[in-house]
Amino acid sequence: MEDNRGKKKLPGPKFCINDHVDILVEILKRLDGDTLAVAACVCQLWHSITRHDSLWENLCFRHVPSPPPSGIKPVVLALGGYKRLYMLCLRPVLNRLSRFGLRDRVDHVQLTLSLFCVDCYERLGGGGGKLGESSASSSSSSLILQQIFVLGPIQ
Amino acid sequence: MGNASNEISQVASDVVHYNPSDLGNWVDSMLTELIHQQFPPSDLQDFPYHDTWTDQIGSQQNQNLNHNQQLTVVSTTMDEEDSGIRLVHMLMSCAELMQRGDFSLVASMIQEMQVLLTRVNTRCGIGKVAGYFIDALGRRLFSPISTACGGYSVLENEILYHNFYEACPYLKFAHFTANQAILEAFDGYDCVHVIDFNLMHGLQWPALIQALALRPGGPPLLRLTGIGPPSPDGRDTLREVGLRLAELARSVNVRFVFRGVAASRLEDVKTWMLQVSSKEAVAINSIMQLHKLLYMDPGRGSAIDTVLSWIRSLNPRIITVVEQEADHNQPEFLDRFTEALYYYSTMFDSLEACGLRPEKSLAEIHIQREICNILCCEGSGRIERHEPLVKWRTRLSESGFKPVHLGSNAFKQASMLLTLFSAEGYCVEEREGCLTLGWHSRPLIAASAWQAVPDEPTSSLAPMLNSQNSNVM
Repeated sequence: MEDNRGKKKLPGPKFCINDHVDILVEILKRLDGDTLAVAACVCQLWHSITRHDSLWENLCFRHVPSPPPSGIKPVVLALGGYKRLYMLCLRPVLNRLSRFGLRDRVDHVQLTLSLFCVDCYERLGGGGGKLGESSASSSSSSLILQQIFVLGPIQ
Repeated sequence: MGNASNEISQVASDVVHYNPSDLGNWVDSMLTELIHQQFPPSDLQDFPYHDTWTDQIGSQQNQNLNHNQQLTVVSTTMDEEDSGIRLVHMLMSCAELMQRGDFSLVASMIQEMQVLLTRVNTRCGIGKVAGYFIDALGRRLFSPISTACGGYSVLENEILYHNFYEACPYLKFAHFTANQAILEAFDGYDCVHVIDFNLMHGLQWPALIQALALRPGGPPLLRLTGIGPPSPDGRDTLREVGLRLAELARSVNVRFVFRGVAASRLEDVKTWMLQVSSKEAVAINSIMQLHKLLYMDPGRGSAIDTVLSWIRSLNPRIITVVEQEADHNQPEFLDRFTEALYYYSTMFDSLEACGLRPEKSLAEIHIQREICNILCCEGSGRIERHEPLVKWRTRLSESGFKPVHLGSNAFKQASMLLTLFSAEGYCVEEREGCLTLGWHSRPLIAASAWQAVPDEPTSSLAPMLNSQNSNVM
């Protein structure tokens, strides 16, 4: 590409990041949560990439002093995914801990996961927020409901 | 302000049970925050001082007050502070009159206090608490005992409880601390059984399910038996809660079995209903339930002994007990009133600090219900018989239980929970292996863990020993 200042400007570099999704993913993987959310607004491609949970998985445990317990991935996915974990629980937790200067020193993983689980439960309707709705989906194979005893006051 | 308080005390000297200057300081500290928030100092200097409450509640001591005031202080703030302190004194006097049986005087004092209440900010601080206590005194005086405590349905109770859970950290602290103790006690067991004395919405259990799912070595089979009151309208709330917990457990691959036991009183539950197997580790979880059993029926004794003995018979690995840290079970009305006034003022303060939330007003109604029960009800109707940790320790030790120390993990988790959820001012303390959560060094809720002391070797063991001996020989 020539560099003639007097002439008309040449077309820009032929390299477009959107043609190299793997590089794009590598870059996006390293962003922090807020920037990632902004990146999701750039274009359709970036939006669909940022919805991949694996990006958020990377983000979630970046600052933890010790590695998260093994077997955590299926649990997190079952409870709603890494993106939700980050947005709902981790981000507020990290913000709060940063305020006290504890962000990189305290192992908040277990507590954050527990809070995420409570949130998932409440979304299932378990918190009493949706009283009056019909009961949850029919019992699964692992659920064995025993008979319930009803006791009134003994006169 | 110290002088002013002394002047007031000269008038009310025959009914003062506390050093008035102490009460003044306490109310002072509560009002100072209110004043600094609501009346920025720059606006104050233009207001002339004048004494506005002479005509309403007039008597000579008001003139004495004038001499002791600084003229730069604003009339409205002084008015509110004085009214606040006066309200507290009047509440105490009224309670004493109530105990003495001077009901007509009580009625007229209630009216006076309601007038005084109009001069105070009832949206926070002393005004709000005083409002609830004046209301409770009125109910005790004018309502029949059966309706004094406000009959809330099971459904309403659950909603109020849920709002209390969301609005302030006490129940969350209780759940997470108890779960930590249960998790540690279940270490190494493949078959575990949790018995929850008050299931409500089962909000405590998702966190335990998740922690068991991620346990090194894999999750055990978890059985949960939830005890709760029967729902009157035919809905099976226990079963619904069980279904949701099961769905959650299934999604994280924890084998889960739920059983509901509907009982309106804990002492009606029999151990065979719980179907405890000898091979499983049992945990008993009581969040603010044991104090309801403390009524001593002259004919039948107290339910607490019945319940504690069947707890022992189940041979649990751990019993988690969370109770309010207050002495609201004293026989004299005035003592209960005073203790409740301090306790609930502190609690309302802490609720204020949690900021504006939609759950706050219903949470306050939940607290107000407790206040009414403590002050208005007697006999078997009074179920909020809170006792402090020291009394529970004695009671449980005498019934054959020994304390289990809540480890440092529980403490760290509780501290972290507080930094996440709450305002400055909450504090977690460790006391002889138990954890308390309080507001500004006044503990409000205490969590402890216990184990049954094994009995002395009885005759039932002897045949086993004999057969072992015979095998050896």
